[in-house]
Amino acid sequence: MADVFRQEWGRINAALIHQTGDWDLAEECAQDAFAQALRRWPRDGVPDRPGAWLMTVARNGAIDRLRRSRSYRAKVEELAVMATRETGTPDDGQRDADPDAEDGGVPDERLRLIFTCCHPALAMEARVALTLRTLTGLSTTEIARAFLVPEATMAKRLVRAKHKITHARIPYRVPPASALPQRVPGVLAVLYLVFNEGYAASAGDDLIRRDLCDRAVGLAQVLAELLPEEPEAKGLLALMLFHRARQAARVNADGELVTLEDQDRARWDHTQIALARRIIEDAFAARRPGQYQLQAAIAGCHAAAATAQATDWPRIARLYQLLADMTGSPVVELNRAVAVAMADGPSAGLALLRRLEAGGALAGYYLLPATRADLLRRLGRDDEAASAYEEAAALVGTGPERRFLNARLAEVRPRDSG
Amino acid sequence: MQYMLIHAGAAGLDDAWNDEAWAALRDWLDEAIGSGVSIEGAPLQLDADATTVKVRDGQLIVTDGPYAETKEQVAGYDVIEVGSAEEAVRWARRHPHAWMGSVEVRALVGGGSAVHLPGPAAGKTRYMMLVCTDPAVERRESAAVEPVESWVTEMSNRGVRLFGGELEPAGSARTVRGKDPGAVVTDGPFADTKEQIAGFDVLECADLDEAIEVAAKHPMASGGIVEVRPFRSLTED
Repeated sequence: MADVFRQEWGRINAALIHQTGDWDLAEECAQDAFAQALRRWPRDGVPDRPGAWLMTVARNGAIDRLRRSRSYRAKVEELAVMATRETGTPDDGQRDADPDAEDGGVPDERLRLIFTCCHPALAMEARVALTLRTLTGLSTTEIARAFLVPEATMAKRLVRAKHKITHARIPYRVPPASALPQRVPGVLAVLYLVFNEGYAASAGDDLIRRDLCDRAVGLAQVLAELLPEEPEAKGLLALMLFHRARQAARVNADGELVTLEDQDRARWDHTQIALARRIIEDAFAARRPGQYQLQAAIAGCHAAAATAQATDWPRIARLYQLLADMTGSPVVELNRAVAVAMADGPSAGLALLRRLEAGGALAGYYLLPATRADLLRRLGRDDEAASAYEEAAALVGTGPERRFLNARLAEVRPRDSG
Repeated sequence: MQYMLIHAGAAGLDDAWNDEAWAALRDWLDEAIGSGVSIEGAPLQLDADATTVKVRDGQLIVTDGPYAETKEQVAGYDVIEVGSAEEAVRWARRHPHAWMGSVEVRALVGGGSAVHLPGPAAGKTRYMMLVCTDPAVERRESAAVEPVESWVTEMSNRGVRLFGGELEPAGSARTVRGKDPGAVVTDGPFADTKEQIAGFDVLECADLDEAIEVAAKHPMASGGIVEVRPFRSLTED
């Protein structure tokens, strides 16, 4: 039942917002419909088409509420909802043509909802909260817990975002094709942020936090399905799936993070990896590469290697080169240097690092000296490696990264470590 | 001459609108109209409903919030047609906003011409577009900003730009605070920010996406910052 709820919540909300323009009314009616289902389904059995059942109950609830209101606007909204009921009856011709439709005859409006929630005129944190609330049905309390902010703060954030949508008239629609290249990246960024919040959560964290990964994957699935012409939507979905497939192996019995190199590859979810591979191949077939597709391809290279030694580093280095050309990101350049060091030897990697250090864009970023230290260590230049490890440790504060660096420092400078 | 009275106020300004303030505003309007002063003005939604638009390196950058983070925010405006700057300040002193927050007085470049706007067309939303300077834009680049005339012509013909004007520099502004006869007039704008209002346009658009598109085409989107904010509807529930 939880699965049905998760799938249907966004669909019902999206349809009701479209018909009434009233975000709060839509949410209340969706909530009522799910409450009724919780009461009645255990007693009467789950209906054949649970989605259609929920949609009908929610829509009738909306009509009732609007009928009780005397304003002219409410009358107009009531008519809009009634209209979809008339045309959306189960014996409607369209329904016969599409027996898989689970929506009670209401078109899927979730794409409108996604684009509105992720509108650039809303603050990023508001986009994230609104997307999770209206599309995945996560409660305000749960979102607040997931993002480690007080519930009142999160509630205010949601209210404020809904006010702005109404007052500033943020349109409830899918942008025209000409605006999609500008708007799609913003939507993908919201979903990736949600995923990363969940992915960064440790075993000790609230379950809600870890659940964010699944919510993000669910949303990426919807987006990839509703925007079949956007290879980057598929790229993001594949990227998330490759990462999630490794989730179980990322943490050891003590709750410590395990690096990719040391992970037990038997614990990876190979079914999910295969699915991700099909999706990324499908995305690449469009021949419009983008940063999520490239990142997914890199993740796919790692996932394909039976052992860390078998990793196709030359290919990864080439993919990072493409990604660096596309994004101009110095962090990507750093990753490329690591891949080149693996493919062509530490000296080649060091040459790239030197150029990056001269650029100055990553000054103060601990992974820069940490990477240099690692390459120097592999070249046997222990003294230089030691001072680079010290440099990195000084930048990183405390935590597992610091412990890792100190352990390596002890390796290259055994006599000084005591 | 035309002068813009920029109403500014801190958070919680809405609560300051008590019976006394409403009565004072009514009196102010009656008196001004009675003395033949031409007025056009309206209150704005709070800064939480503002959106900022910039174009940098050909890329459109849209962000949530007003053009600058200040304690007091623009809350509304009046454009009045009077004989002198002194007269404009006299009207500002008596506006209830002077004691609820502050009123900045700024002359329109070239004087402008009197306008009365009818209510918005059905299905349209009206936005205040504040055209602001951005100190982060290099002087060389801001000097290269295209003249605004072609934008004004295009947007006026399209029916999205109703009215607007360029303001004399912020250095020429005077700001009124307090309740007459104790109101204090100081030189300078209401907020001492690096970003300053350089002009304004009243837009009427189908939705925020259109307002953003129109704002992005303004030359100052590249040479400065442009804020769009909906006006407050007087029939709002």
